[in-house]
Amino acid sequence: MQSQTHANHWDIFCAVVDNYGDIGVTWRLAKQLAKEYGLAITLWVDDLASFAHILPKLDPKCASQNFEGVCIKRWDAPLSQEYLPGEVLIEAFACELPPEVLGKIAALHQAGDKVPVWLNLEYLSAEDWVEGCHGLPSLQRSGLKKQFYFPGFTNKTGGLICEADLLERRQMWQENKERQAYFEALGLSGIDEHDTVISLFSYETESLNALCRHWHEGERQVHLLVPIGRSLNSLGAFIDQQQALTPGSRFHHGKLTIHLLPMTDQQGYDRLLWSCDFNIVRGEDSFLRAQWAAKPFIWHIYPQEEDYHLIKLEAFMALYCHNLAPEIADAWKKLNIGFNQGEQKTLFSLWQQVDNAHLALTQHAQDWPNEALNDADLATRLVQFVKNS
Amino acid sequence: MKTAHEIRPGNVIMLDGSPWVVQKTETTRSGRNAAIVKMKLKNLLQESSTETTFKGEDKMEDIILDRLDCTYSYFADPMYVFMDAEYNQYDVEADNLGDAAAYIVDGMEEQCQVTFYEGKAISVELPTTVVREVTYTEPSARGDTSGKVMKPATIAGGATLSVADFVKTGDLIEIDTRTHEFKKRA
Repeated sequence: MQSQTHANHWDIFCAVVDNYGDIGVTWRLAKQLAKEYGLAITLWVDDLASFAHILPKLDPKCASQNFEGVCIKRWDAPLSQEYLPGEVLIEAFACELPPEVLGKIAALHQAGDKVPVWLNLEYLSAEDWVEGCHGLPSLQRSGLKKQFYFPGFTNKTGGLICEADLLERRQMWQENKERQAYFEALGLSGIDEHDTVISLFSYETESLNALCRHWHEGERQVHLLVPIGRSLNSLGAFIDQQQALTPGSRFHHGKLTIHLLPMTDQQGYDRLLWSCDFNIVRGEDSFLRAQWAAKPFIWHIYPQEEDYHLIKLEAFMALYCHNLAPEIADAWKKLNIGFNQGEQKTLFSLWQQVDNAHLALTQHAQDWPNEALNDADLATRLVQFVKNS
Repeated sequence: MKTAHEIRPGNVIMLDGSPWVVQKTETTRSGRNAAIVKMKLKNLLQESSTETTFKGEDKMEDIILDRLDCTYSYFADPMYVFMDAEYNQYDVEADNLGDAAAYIVDGMEEQCQVTFYEGKAISVELPTTVVREVTYTEPSARGDTSGKVMKPATIAGGATLSVADFVKTGDLIEIDTRTHEFKKRA
């Protein structure tokens, strides 16, 4: 049986649900494990077409291909490519593993052979209960051992995805003031060095209309950088419906200019976040990257039943703001809550309060990554967790 | 078969070839409305306990053991004593009640189900909903802008849970014993 396994090999299974969130996280993790830990990683993905949006060189029709040291395989049903059990098996975000995979590890278990460390990598949350669930076993009827692995912001959780050199690269980028050159490389014209530049990657919300009206009537020139995607569905009043929505399109309204961007790879998106004065992000992956960008941000959290996402938002904000001046924290929290609730009436004044505190918020955003990372990032803790399993 | 989400304290489930009595369940929301259920389990063969986590949709074998409708009689430390319709008394270890113990109060009239394994009373399942008095909660904190304003409260029996901001000390409230969630003012 041992001959049918291979050591030093990790498999990560990812079912794409929301275009870029799940695959964004697992792709970053896979790359980091391969690059920084020399692990042989296979990333099994059930929707290569969505994946190709953030990895443009990926061929959605190719069943197996390699990028950045990671073998990417198409996860189809039934599984058409052989799974060889390795050292670790990760089901990302509670996806259901293929029966062929479960069958193989069950056979190893029954034969008394070594089975992979089997982990369910869960969603990121700042809620207290995460500490109590991180690392717990999940007893299986078959007798196989699976464990839940929870990313998180404290040292009792699984940590946060952050590449070893990321913060240093970001700092160099911002110190060298590379944003103007980057904007020009993206084909963005008319952005003055002192203009306010805001990136937007959100779900649909009426809040965007309110903010755009405010920026439109404001005193400072504001540039809103928007990739082609869901955010545009809420910008109807500010987009010329007769004009084709293509990357490079611009729409002027008073002091507001909306620029449409092409989808970019993950490195490009990081640079975009580093270059803007303020970022509006969503979900899990862009939310975390906005924190590493060390700029003020709004988190448009994935909506859940019974407004449970607001509890998750509150939990994160409590951690993020615990050593921020109360009046600034209060304004920033209210802006985030208002944005997530589709607020329109008070968003003007909330934005203004946060904008007035921009320097203090930026300083806080620069301090935050070290605090959030504690002693180690997710990949480092994950490798250690596997060693201890 | 039941999903982890449907399992309640007092149920006995079969895992890895052993029967386990569920002492405590805690359901939380993960991303995209998926649930995560944390359970405290006691192995009925080895008398050992463990904490374990499941996805809400994980299926597990719910063992049907003998059960009797009973009412709570009294507490004789460390045993809770329940009585059936024919006045037979059954002792259940406090440890085996898990979270349910926090809803046990003198004079309670709700019918509970006592579960037996090899002739021994091993656990108690509460009704899905119980009504309890709030013994303490802070006054309303109006002005919070969050959409779902909740605050902590202690109820008769000793459990603490989050209740709606309008609930006052002395109110009777309905509680879902599976999720320990406040349902409404009774």
